[in-house]
Amino acid sequence: MPLKISSWFAPAKRACLICGRDSAQVTASIPIKHPEARQAITSLCGSCRQSIPWIAHPVCRICGRAERCEDCIRRQTRYYSISRCAVRYDDRMKDWLALYKYRGNEGVESILTAMLAFAYERLCEAAAHSEFHAITSVPLAPERLQDRGFNQAERLALRLSGWYGVEYRPMLSRLRHTEKQSLKTRRSRVVDMRGNFSAATSELFSNVASPRIILIDDIYTTGSTLDECARVLKLASRSETTAEIYGLLWARS
Amino acid sequence: MKVVLYAVQIGASRKAFFSVAWEVDECYWSDKAERIIRLREKIPLGWAERVYGLLGEQWSNVVVEKRKGHSPAQDWNDDLKLAVRWVSGEGEAGNSLSLDVEDVTLDPHRHALRDMEYLVETARLASLNLAGRALLREEATQLLDGVLPTADASAYLATLQLASLTGALQLAAAVAPKPSAPPRSGLRAWAERLRLARPTGLAASRRRPAEELACRRCGSGKDKLRRTPCAACGQACAYCEACLTMGRSRECGLLVIGVAGAGKDLPIPVPVYSSQPAPADTAQSLAANTSQPAPADTAQSLAANSSQPAPADTALSLAANTSQPAPVDTAQSFAANTNQPALADTAQSLAANTSQPAPTYSAKSLVTHITQHAPTYSAQSLTAYTSQRSQSFQPVTPNALAKRWGLSPAQSAAAAQALQFLNRPSFSRSGHTFLLWAVTGAGKTEMIFPLLESVLARGGRALVATPRRDVVLELAPRLAKAFPDSARTVLYGGSADRWENGALTLATTHQLLRFQEAFDLVLIDELDAFPYHNDPMLHYAADKCRKTTGTTVLLSATPPSTIQRAAIRRRLPCARVPVRYHRHPLPVPKRLVFPAVSDLLRKRKLPSKLLKALERSAKRGAQIFLFVPYVKQVEPLVMLLHRHAAKLGIDPIAIAGTSSKDADRTDKVVSFREHSIGLLVTTTILERGVTIPKSDVFILDSHNPMFDSASLVQMAGRAGRSASDPSGFVYYGGPAWTTSQKSSIRQIRDMNILAKRDGYLI
Repeated sequence: MPLKISSWFAPAKRACLICGRDSAQVTASIPIKHPEARQAITSLCGSCRQSIPWIAHPVCRICGRAERCEDCIRRQTRYYSISRCAVRYDDRMKDWLALYKYRGNEGVESILTAMLAFAYERLCEAAAHSEFHAITSVPLAPERLQDRGFNQAERLALRLSGWYGVEYRPMLSRLRHTEKQSLKTRRSRVVDMRGNFSAATSELFSNVASPRIILIDDIYTTGSTLDECARVLKLASRSETTAEIYGLLWARS
Repeated sequence: MKVVLYAVQIGASRKAFFSVAWEVDECYWSDKAERIIRLREKIPLGWAERVYGLLGEQWSNVVVEKRKGHSPAQDWNDDLKLAVRWVSGEGEAGNSLSLDVEDVTLDPHRHALRDMEYLVETARLASLNLAGRALLREEATQLLDGVLPTADASAYLATLQLASLTGALQLAAAVAPKPSAPPRSGLRAWAERLRLARPTGLAASRRRPAEELACRRCGSGKDKLRRTPCAACGQACAYCEACLTMGRSRECGLLVIGVAGAGKDLPIPVPVYSSQPAPADTAQSLAANTSQPAPADTAQSLAANSSQPAPADTALSLAANTSQPAPVDTAQSFAANTNQPALADTAQSLAANTSQPAPTYSAKSLVTHITQHAPTYSAQSLTAYTSQRSQSFQPVTPNALAKRWGLSPAQSAAAAQALQFLNRPSFSRSGHTFLLWAVTGAGKTEMIFPLLESVLARGGRALVATPRRDVVLELAPRLAKAFPDSARTVLYGGSADRWENGALTLATTHQLLRFQEAFDLVLIDELDAFPYHNDPMLHYAADKCRKTTGTTVLLSATPPSTIQRAAIRRRLPCARVPVRYHRHPLPVPKRLVFPAVSDLLRKRKLPSKLLKALERSAKRGAQIFLFVPYVKQVEPLVMLLHRHAAKLGIDPIAIAGTSSKDADRTDKVVSFREHSIGLLVTTTILERGVTIPKSDVFILDSHNPMFDSASLVQMAGRAGRSASDPSGFVYYGGPAWTTSQKSSIRQIRDMNILAKRDGYLI
């Protein structure tokens, strides 16, 4: 067996957090500015990194979809200002999210947050004011939370708030335990969402003239969850000021 | 999850417990315990289990004293509080756990659960079906869904809790501190001794024992555990990343461990089976019982029993007991049980049971199901069992085996050796592992049949574990044909009978995580193959699923070098099959020196040596395996070979390449089997499992470190598999001559020499 002295000085092998293969040095560019997010993406192997379907140029100015969006045209009243999504929700991304959400591989969390950071930076570019007052997340029903052990949106929000220095505030709570969103049609989604959430009045509303709040969730499908949460938040803030709600989502289906 | 922690005083002894369904414990202890205290607040399961262990140790030899002016109740409370504080690491991270201890008033009437009888039945059923299993809570729920008549997940916890109180199940945290004995030698041991010598004081008591967490299910240590905040227990608790594909096991997650042979004599608070006066005498009813059709997994042993004459024979009735355990231990109540009116149609409902794996049980069939299942291991039945075995056991001769299973002389000799090891009582042999070292194409599958038969015949459970799913699917029909009378379970990711407990289980190695002390015989096929090889988790699982008295038989053509060494030095009992079933020697590889594949591809030229050899093989009508080390070399090499197709005398369409990245790999392998592909360029993925009757093997870049000696032997083993063409050609191509190549050739030669010496060759 030949002594491979060169291997003694080689960087330690690091397994890709998603697929477990060796993440060799890849020189593909990462479209994120934040150093920690960049580092998280660097820990992916080349093929995983290249398979991320970034939404770099959203076609729909409102929801950030990569193609023409019928939902936003059809909708009469909208409670959130705009939203941005990091990636298209294709099969590969479906697997990644399942890895985190259903299988409970919390090592993937940093990767997903890094991808969300991409959307955050796009949102800052798109929003008129690039300053936000708080980050909050879509809550999970207590039973679901017990089963899963964590709220994915909250975790992503917490990490993101740490990276970008925007304060995280839990503002919403879920009142009802609904069936899984992924099993329902568009119509029933919108109807079912009504009265699902409640918002606590926070001192943010009295301190800031018109607070801009980022609301984080994992997937945007019809936008009904996001819209309902925004509605509830606006209602809670109505007495003093009117809050602006910006959606920040990991994937757009 | 969070659980209730409580302590019970019975007589002069105290014990701490934890409960996942408090109302069950309240009811259970209401007529047994003198006093109970409980922690008002629920605490995480991991903590509760540690407190349980800690107090168990502390209270094991403490006798409750009744002195004047001293309240024992007080220090009882204090012990409990102190232990919880100790475990939770009070002070760290500002734990705000309120340690209120409350006295529980015991009132048998108040606490009597309405449906206790029903609960006892379900607990019994659960313990029978969970015997030998190690399941996470979700998995246990899925199993019970198919077994219990109700579909109420919250009732399952009560069922499990009752079963655990009676000792039939063990409820534990899925990730828990590794039980570690203090080191006995070396520097660490001295450090430990010095620590013990320290004066007991504040400093000494403050020190927490250095505990290392490990996953109870897969055995992975702290490098595979990740600690994250958990909403289910409110603490930062660890989960195991190694066995994540089989469900998430975490520190506050429940692991349900079924004690093998449980469900026989549960000390149940409420008499459920209000036994009717037994009209018939014991022996008769037992005899009647023996002749009844039994569930499939005990069918064989029963058949053996009932074939013996004399129903009144005590030994027999005991033997009957072995295969058909009674819920209550004594023979009388056994008789009473079998004579219950509910059992009038035992035969029928049982027949129904056997034909349908998971029927919805009526109350009747529930009872029958319980009475006829799961082996007991009482001292009595064991003696009966051994005496029976010593009568019937005759040393198996290779000739008999050869006749019974159609084995070749070499196969039957090895199988007889393995059988001898298997049948020796576990205390009289050293170790529990046996290696069957059989060359490629020796017919390993046929050799395992006698072993399985022997275990199944005496009512044991056997497991065949293979690394890959397609092997499981291929082997299942063969086993079904060989053992039509045994209940078989086929387990792989997504298989239908995931929660069955057959006597004969065929599984992929990952499925072994779900068992604990379940099998008398564990057969591990291809122990050097991915993923089993070099995966400590699967090794742990394979060890864990064997009963303490059971046997592991390892099967391999190319055992890892540590195992080879152990076998050669006789530290590991071993039988070698040095010859293929057709009794011709293994083809010995020849060397072809030419440049590395990367050079060939760059120059777009194939060396004449290789072309000539390929042409010769094509001319004699053999199909060709061409192995290369890397996936990326497959396609370019196929293109290069297409250019030379005319020269080789092979149709260009018949030259194909495949690899792990190839989507239609299975189709290509099928068409290679059907002769429509004549030359297949491939990587190590086809080094095992593919048998082509007339084939030659070319290994390019055989000096590449991707090919270790085991994989070289396996690849060389693709040639000369059939009796019609027993001597194919194997070529090692490449510029260098490495240790792996040399040692692989040595292994092949050694086997051929051994075969010749033992006279197996024709």
